[in-house]
Amino acid sequence: MSDTAIEAAALGKRYGRRGWALRACSFRLPAGRVCAVVGPNGAGKSTLLAHAAGLLRPTEGSLTVLSTSPAEARDRIAYVAQEKPLYPQLTVADTLRLGAELNPARWDGRVADRVVQEGGLDLGARVRTLSGGQRTRVALALALGKRPELMLLDEPMADLDPLARHQLMGTLMAEAVEHGTTVVMSSHIIGELADACDHLLLVSGGRVRLGGPIDDLVAAHTLVTGLAPASDLAPHTVVESRATGRGTTALIRHEGPVGDGWDAEEPSLEELLLAHLRSPDAPPLLAPDTTARQTPEVAA
Amino acid sequence: MSTTTPSPATGTTRDTPHAPPSGAVHGPRWVFLRLHRTPLRLALAVFALGAALTGFLRWAAWAYPEKEFDCSDGSPCSDTFLGFQSAATLLYEYMKNVSLSGLLLPVLIGAFVAGPVVARELESGLHRLVWTQSVSPARWFVSRLAIAATLAATAALAFIGVFQLGASGMLGMWNLHWMDRGVYEATGPALVAYGLLAVTVGALLGLLLRRTVAAMAAAAAVTGTVLLVAGTLRWDLVPVNTLTGPGSVEHPQPTGLPDGVKIVDWGLQNAAGQRFSPHECVPEKLIGARCPSDVTVTDWFVDFHPRAHFWYAQLVETGIVLVLAAAAGYAALRVLRRRHA
Repeated sequence: MSDTAIEAAALGKRYGRRGWALRACSFRLPAGRVCAVVGPNGAGKSTLLAHAAGLLRPTEGSLTVLSTSPAEARDRIAYVAQEKPLYPQLTVADTLRLGAELNPARWDGRVADRVVQEGGLDLGARVRTLSGGQRTRVALALALGKRPELMLLDEPMADLDPLARHQLMGTLMAEAVEHGTTVVMSSHIIGELADACDHLLLVSGGRVRLGGPIDDLVAAHTLVTGLAPASDLAPHTVVESRATGRGTTALIRHEGPVGDGWDAEEPSLEELLLAHLRSPDAPPLLAPDTTARQTPEVAA
Repeated sequence: MSTTTPSPATGTTRDTPHAPPSGAVHGPRWVFLRLHRTPLRLALAVFALGAALTGFLRWAAWAYPEKEFDCSDGSPCSDTFLGFQSAATLLYEYMKNVSLSGLLLPVLIGAFVAGPVVARELESGLHRLVWTQSVSPARWFVSRLAIAATLAATAALAFIGVFQLGASGMLGMWNLHWMDRGVYEATGPALVAYGLLAVTVGALLGLLLRRTVAAMAAAAAVTGTVLLVAGTLRWDLVPVNTLTGPGSVEHPQPTGLPDGVKIVDWGLQNAAGQRFSPHECVPEKLIGARCPSDVTVTDWFVDFHPRAHFWYAQLVETGIVLVLAAAAGYAALRVLRRRHA
């Protein structure tokens, strides 16, 4: 099994007149992580996942998955698109049979059956009669039944109520942990996936702005409050600063201890992400093992 | 991993990751047949009904021949069969319609492949489901084309068989002629070629348009246009036979033509072999008619296709249509590879 799940080198994708969805996007995701891809709507999250799933060709740059091209890795990847596409006229049982027929070398019917039955789904029910949460469960069953090395889930929990979200996330994490699957989940709701994920990619404006283990990213930043102006914070990198009633509040990447006169505290993940989203000019930060190591040889 | 556990709800045995599900058809072919089960069953039912009706009418035409009536005493001069003059008349009228409906077959196949088979998946994003299983888009697409082509060829052959069942021995009578549009297509391999053309044209348009209804309409229009144009052009593909004989203004009609030929052109000619129309140039030249300066009639002429040209036309047309079908299929694959990784 490869130690790199996804590696992008200067990846760019342009959609005709709509412009660039991804541009100069470089990062590396080590295998075995549960990674949240967060960012505002239209940031390029879906485009990034669709490239990793082998559904789109990069306009420029390259992307490798499991150390090969996405097309070569097709049988080791599972992908659930944002709309959870399923054939409406098929029953749940036939949908799982479809998974078995199209993945003959990898299909594990027991896993898929279990995921479906945990949701109390009737195997004879047609997909068009299912609720949003039930459809998501069937789509996840199809993805898990493939026994993938890499799962790409585009907004998997978006249309679920909190209870169903909790249940499905539990199922997903149990399977992922048991088989060492790398899971990549996108969301525009900051913090939605924070509990489940140990790794983060913040995508904004078509680029990866932050990447790395969540704990490391949070620890690399400090939220400071003080009376002095933000310019006094050198040599620290100021991500965002705001004038408040009593002085300045700033999120910084600290270089050594913060000077006197500043109250320092660790930011929450949400504060960290919001500060970066509000400050598109802040320099990107990628943790060491999240930086693209070399230009991958295999073009996507 | 290797134990076999029965799945309670399906009743089937789902077991190791490497054991395929039971059944004769697997992989993309199974998916195709399952997804389009309803229209395929409907088509089969319509076909079975048509074949049964054809068989019944053929039997009725044989079992209830037209009788001679002596109506001098005021009794009815004729019998009727289901409102028609005779069972044979009904069979003829029916077969005339059947022959024309054969032209609809490629149109329907084209619309089906373009819409439900190809464009609907792209329109509703279902390609993102199937193309991220273990089957590559190219393999998925080729397998769909292959099974659709097999079904189309089978349908065309079955249609030809049903037509034979109803009309064998009737051609040349009752205005059902071998060269007639519909009859010509229903009696030779060209219909199979048109079925295959409909499949690849439908696939190409479905990929290009990515909208179910638009793709269906476009595929039906293109397939129908090719059929119409071919019906007009096909008799130019085979050189005509020409017959001439002594003629005159009073007797311009050709004589001695064999039975059951397709006449392409006929008229009069002068000693130099220049042709002209009997009613436009002689005895008086009509205004606007194109006539040679010398309109002294020496012969009549007739250009025609004998019955034997049927097979030349069928084979040439089949060849051309198959080349078009292959070109459309190749173009569809190129579009697929260019647009999708």
